Amino acid sequence: MKTKLVVIILVPLVVFGLSLVLGPKIINPFAMDETSREILFSVRAPRSIVALLMGMALGASGAVLQGILRNPLADPYILGISSGASLSAAIGIIMGLTFLGSFTIPVLAFAGAIFTGSLVGVMGWKRGGLWPERLLLAGVGLSFLFSALLMLIMSVSSDEGLRRATLWIFGDLSMSDWSRIPFGLIFVLGGMLLSMARAKALNALILGDELAHSLGFTPHVERFFLFVSVGLMTSASVSLGGMIGFIGLLVPHMIRFFAGSDSRALIPASAFMGGALLCVADLVSRSILPPMELPAGVVTAIIGSPYFLYLLRRRNVLSV
Amino acid sequence: MSSASDLPILDFDRISFSYAKNGAFIKDLSFSIGEGEFIGLLGANGSGKSTILKLGGGILKPSAGRLMLWGKSLQTFRNRDRAKLISYMPQSLDVTVPFTVRELVDMGLYPYDIRPAMTTGEALDMVGLRGRADGRLADLSSGEQRRTFIAMTLLQGAGLLLLDEPLANLDIRYQIELVLLLRRLKEERNISIVMALHDINVALQLEKVMLIKSGEILGIGAPEEVLTEERIRQAFGIKVRIIRQQGENAYVSYKNSF
Repeated sequence: MKTKLVVIILVPLVVFGLSLVLGPKIINPFAMDETSREILFSVRAPRSIVALLMGMALGASGAVLQGILRNPLADPYILGISSGASLSAAIGIIMGLTFLGSFTIPVLAFAGAIFTGSLVGVMGWKRGGLWPERLLLAGVGLSFLFSALLMLIMSVSSDEGLRRATLWIFGDLSMSDWSRIPFGLIFVLGGMLLSMARAKALNALILGDELAHSLGFTPHVERFFLFVSVGLMTSASVSLGGMIGFIGLLVPHMIRFFAGSDSRALIPASAFMGGALLCVADLVSRSILPPMELPAGVVTAIIGSPYFLYLLRRRNVLSV
Repeated sequence: MSSASDLPILDFDRISFSYAKNGAFIKDLSFSIGEGEFIGLLGANGSGKSTILKLGGGILKPSAGRLMLWGKSLQTFRNRDRAKLISYMPQSLDVTVPFTVRELVDMGLYPYDIRPAMTTGEALDMVGLRGRADGRLADLSSGEQRRTFIAMTLLQGAGLLLLDEPLANLDIRYQIELVLLLRRLKEERNISIVMALHDINVALQLEKVMLIKSGEILGIGAPEEVLTEERIRQAFGIKVRIIRQQGENAYVSYKNSF
């Protein structure tokens, strides 16, 4: 167990370090000139931190959501939060809104995400609590609606707006700068601490509401807190850099294979691995064909899927 | 050994409950569970067995009447404190959950800040599963899966187990093993048990049974007194014959109904 713990903490650190020094231009941290320093501190460091935060948020919320929905195919985007965020961000991008400067699009995305999350919560609420099936169906329903509206807007928009909106939707880390990080950090860490504080309850909820109750929890209250934690993390992640697939769905499954299913370990481990994976994916996406950048979400899936399929071949990993 | 203390562990005092607005499903139900009692709860499907167990476990709230746990209203207990005294186990357990035996059993510790006296190993020993601690729940047999959940309740330390049809889906050997295990828990640890079940022949092996119909008690007491041909006909609407042999327990023949 100790070795696994070391690996889970060490991997993201090493990856983060590498993502700072590697890239189209390799930087020797012990002999930096002015340009290298500028690249390292103004471009790569904020970008890698954003990648780390987004990946952590997605990995952790995937682990939590699969538990509260008791569904191995749940990912943070299934609740429609990302569709809501994408819709409001795309509207902002296409209309060229700049009322909050460089914060306009992230703030719009965050507002769209929180609005959608709350809407899903309201629709999933009945008889004094949140019900997994209702949450899931409300999320899927809203997702379709918002995606359709998004397509509608994109199909009537100009070329430049369309290109930028598309980039954003598929995960664009190139706009990362230091100014967004404190906000991302607050919501991602806040959500993660909340979910980890309720990790025992999550384990119990996975057994079913009646056993969770018998173990001393109030299922509806616990599910509400966990849902809020997912909402915060997912919203922060989407507003930092758009949608990144794969991590929220499959990283928790990889971690279950590696570190077991106890949510107290699963949530932080999925966060660390999600962060590491997105960091690697971002490094690859900006290094492989410079100066062109590939969408980080695409690279994540291309790196992650074969490994996941390999695990699936070796062992039955698809259970909550 | 049974009813060592005068104070019942759990007392149903004129409890009423309804699922819908039209009429009470359970009306004025009164009975109590003493320390170290093992009660079999019988009745037709839909007669209210699960409802009674869920009321006792605090999952459902009565619409009228008083439910007293150790002389104190059950509703005044915090969930965590109640969990240290009562453990409810639903009929259907999700055995596809990804946990190992040890991870699941350890969840019995959740109501506690300080680890209680019993260790996970001891709980697993009680149910005969120490060797399977690191196996996945999903890989166990149905009988072992049930016993894993029982080990969890042991670690939970509750003095009252409310078990909803734990014998369902078990073959006859696992059924006997589980009943013997529960009897041992009652004798060695003075744990009180209320177990809903369907098999009248198994019920005849218990020391006390309660037969219900439409949320009302048809009889409570020793099985040979409660499970008469007449009462079984009332409760289930079938004719049976109870065959008694000297020196052996009675058994119920369903021949008359086939």
